Amino acid sequence: MRNGPLLVTFAVGASLVAIFFIPHHKVQEAQSVLLDWANVVYAFALILGSLSLWASHQRKVFARAEGWIYSLVTLLALAFVTVAGTVQGVEEGTLVNKYYNMVNSPLASTMFALLAFFIASAAFRAFRARNAEATLLLGTAIVMMIGRVSVGEYLWHGFPPVTEWLLDVPNLAAKRAIALGIGLGAISTALKIILGIDRSYLGRS
Amino acid sequence: MSEALNTSWFDPGRVNLLVGLAVFVVFLVINISRARGGSEMFIRPLAGLKAVDEAIGRATEMGRPVLYLPGLGDMSEVGTLASIAILSRVARRTAEMGCDLDVPGYDPVASTIMDGAARQAYIEAGRGDAYRPGTVHYISAQQFAYVAAVTGIMLRDRPAANIYMGSFYAESLFLAETGNQTGAIQIAGCDQVTQLPFFVCACDYTLLGEELFAAGAFLGREPVQLATIAAQDWAKALAAAMVVVSLLASVLGHPELGQLLKTR
Repeated sequence: MRNGPLLVTFAVGASLVAIFFIPHHKVQEAQSVLLDWANVVYAFALILGSLSLWASHQRKVFARAEGWIYSLVTLLALAFVTVAGTVQGVEEGTLVNKYYNMVNSPLASTMFALLAFFIASAAFRAFRARNAEATLLLGTAIVMMIGRVSVGEYLWHGFPPVTEWLLDVPNLAAKRAIALGIGLGAISTALKIILGIDRSYLGRS
Repeated sequence: MSEALNTSWFDPGRVNLLVGLAVFVVFLVINISRARGGSEMFIRPLAGLKAVDEAIGRATEMGRPVLYLPGLGDMSEVGTLASIAILSRVARRTAEMGCDLDVPGYDPVASTIMDGAARQAYIEAGRGDAYRPGTVHYISAQQFAYVAAVTGIMLRDRPAANIYMGSFYAESLFLAETGNQTGAIQIAGCDQVTQLPFFVCACDYTLLGEELFAAGAFLGREPVQLATIAAQDWAKALAAAMVVVSLLASVLGHPELGQLLKTR
């Protein structure tokens, strides 16, 4: 019984690996079914997650903890989207769709826009000529920043080709080396899970 | 006219991948046998992982929590699986040291699994009663809603240590810079190549690429887990050798080996 989840993991994991090599249409249809099942599991987990979210914010509101007003806003928004979505659906023209387009999307875009300022502050802190490597990084960053804007080509026609070379040769080489390691690490982790060597996802060491 | 249904039982274009997978499994079996036979597995020290203990100790002394972010991946992403393995080790350490742990979750399925893993880690550390319900809590499956909530947690709760392990995307610099502003010690590990530079700039320690996948085994120090890192290293050495050999062969007018390595 204790090994039941391990057997299920092995069976499903090994099946999906095998399906990758088998192009038979019946086998590919089985893969689609398995992925649909995963969506069903996700939907139930979403209910659990929402209940957990509700519980943690309700606690703050009842205890009048610091910032409880924001927790109340969260609860009201959660309730509104759940009820409105259940009653009307989420298609074009519904309340949830309007809420998403008029509130959620602009807020997400605002957050994304703040990233530019964070890049500036990180660059200001990171690009210091502390040692040889940092000086090389600083010099490369200056060339890259100038080369990627129109004024760079105006100042010197060699900036854009140098920038492209930096991106296409040393940068791409390093990216590919790291990606190779990531790929092998991902295979190793997946095999550990499938073969039951790593059982941390089951809450076991 | 309907497309003809594929009725073949093996895709010959992927035979090289099958051979590569088989070789990797052989490496895994050999190294696990070596580990079970008592062979010493040397794993080079990773500064970021050695700093985890230091970070948790710092948080305990300051009486502030450890914030663990598992990334924005779901359970189908290997980075999330690696993050769960690391979380169980981190949770065990926080339980042993009596430090608070806060894990805001992005994916509801992963959050549920992480809650179980963290709870079990506390039980194994003999501190099951100290596990606080709500340690792992689901925030939102929307990227910037999650970021807004987590940065709010950082600015209000002022965790002494921020540990980022998993799959991060555009929000990586957002989180790391905010954490930097609060003065927390930050350790990051990400499997997205494009986000690594941001973590390197903003964090005290960064695990590059495959080190994220080795971290769980490194922290646990179990021989069989360490054996999988050794197998990974063997596979990487073989891949590097094949790249060099195929490059030399191509230069000498024989590109066939390079063609063998192509996938579709």
